Amino acid sequence: MAADQNSGLLQRLVLPPIKQAHWKDTLPDQLQRLRPGSLNLISHHWQMRCRDLSSLIKLLQGEGFRIASFHTQEPLTAISAQALGLPVQLLESDPMASDATPSDDSGDQSSDTKPDCTTQLRLHRGTLRAGEQIETAGDLLVLGDVNPGANVAAAGDVMIWGRLRGIAHAGRDGDRAAKVVALQLRPLQLRIADQVARGPDDRPQPGLAEEARIDANEIVIEPANPRLRARMSVPATD
Amino acid sequence: MASTSRTILICSGKGGVGKTTLTANLGIALARLGLRTVVLDADFGLRNLDLLLGLENRIVFTAQEVLAESCRLEQALVKHKQEPNLALLPAGNPRMLEWLKPEDMQTIAGMLEKQFDYVLIDCPAGIEDGFKNAVAAAKEAIVITTPEVSAVRDADRVIGLLNTHGVKPVQLVLNRVRPKMMASQEMLAVDDVTDILALPLLGLVLEDEQVIVSTNRGEPLTLNGSSSPAARAYGNVARRLQGDDVPLIDPSKEGRGLRAKVRRLMQKKIF
Repeated sequence: MAADQNSGLLQRLVLPPIKQAHWKDTLPDQLQRLRPGSLNLISHHWQMRCRDLSSLIKLLQGEGFRIASFHTQEPLTAISAQALGLPVQLLESDPMASDATPSDDSGDQSSDTKPDCTTQLRLHRGTLRAGEQIETAGDLLVLGDVNPGANVAAAGDVMIWGRLRGIAHAGRDGDRAAKVVALQLRPLQLRIADQVARGPDDRPQPGLAEEARIDANEIVIEPANPRLRARMSVPATD
Repeated sequence: MASTSRTILICSGKGGVGKTTLTANLGIALARLGLRTVVLDADFGLRNLDLLLGLENRIVFTAQEVLAESCRLEQALVKHKQEPNLALLPAGNPRMLEWLKPEDMQTIAGMLEKQFDYVLIDCPAGIEDGFKNAVAAAKEAIVITTPEVSAVRDADRVIGLLNTHGVKPVQLVLNRVRPKMMASQEMLAVDDVTDILALPLLGLVLEDEQVIVSTNRGEPLTLNGSSSPAARAYGNVARRLQGDDVPLIDPSKEGRGLRAKVRRLMQKKIF
């Protein structure tokens, strides 16, 4: 089945339709056509329990693959995937049809020019609760809280219109200009690119959005200012 | 009435926070309000709802026999001695290794809904198969938690799963509240918990030694009209479920401390 390779974007592994063949039989063949690394896994209507899924994950990991996101149309599979901590997306329609075709220019991932935000923004409505995960290849906007135990990660910026109390990772693929913005920034842990920081312990100031970014190899948190671009270095003010 | 029957899952994620105690007491309290109520013990592996209700020795059949059609539903239902409006249905016995599927739970719940106003499902701890079975049959849920970080974290996870399963409304009962410890900030405050879980608070139950006594006796607190704090709280939960506007107790009033001081202290975040 389709095993596209898209420069710049994540590779996609699509399990075969249930009636045609079992994924266990086609998988070795499919994997040969992909290069090891992160991939989006699309399982369509396969009903997988935790055991099936973990054997699939093991198979993939054995070949050097990592599941960046998992798409399924089966609620049962979604629940198993969630239980295993996979970044899962429950699809209602066929992802092949709805997926926007990725742009061809492979240079758009360079840290200077951000990828086109309108197509790369992932929007999540609602609170992310403990154990839930979201990962995206673009920017991420969460309309709701990110609770302790929840995990959000994006290759670009992470923006939270709510309280961030879980773990957030911006610039997952190494973009050190990425930042984390939240109405209330009290994460358990903050990661930007390869930097890791613990969240602040003091009480948040009410009504003040904050942002975290890398400044001189350190993650700093300051009041968010929409006029400042992340790249500009701003003297810290009290 | 079948049309207005409510099937409520009582779950927590973490074990030992009071699911079964709430189920038993709420069952009795609803029955005392004149509502036909059945409690379904979905925690068949470690079942003890029957113990709490003092019905252990009267169980003959379980839901499994009903599904296998080796007995009628009426035979498997265990009516409570003092409170005829309440019945217990154990989902299975602990020796059973092969267990029901989510569809079986739905069938059972469907049968019960025809006869009862309230079907309360006592969910097992954890989020594995037992939980998935129980949640399949539920329409709404009560999440019970204690003011501890671990219990709140697990409750949060369970609420997420309930949302995935499309169970709603989900309401919250905060159990084992110790006003003195809250006042001295040794325990999460009510606001801290509701802040994280973002659910409507259906009840606050104070820590109460009488609960242990009643558990050991097999007589839920709500049964004999006890006036202990926990018994009142369970009664209030039942009335709120019925739509009565019963104000929540204020933990700071129940304790010794000065109310204003406590309220100020409760603002302090521990998360």
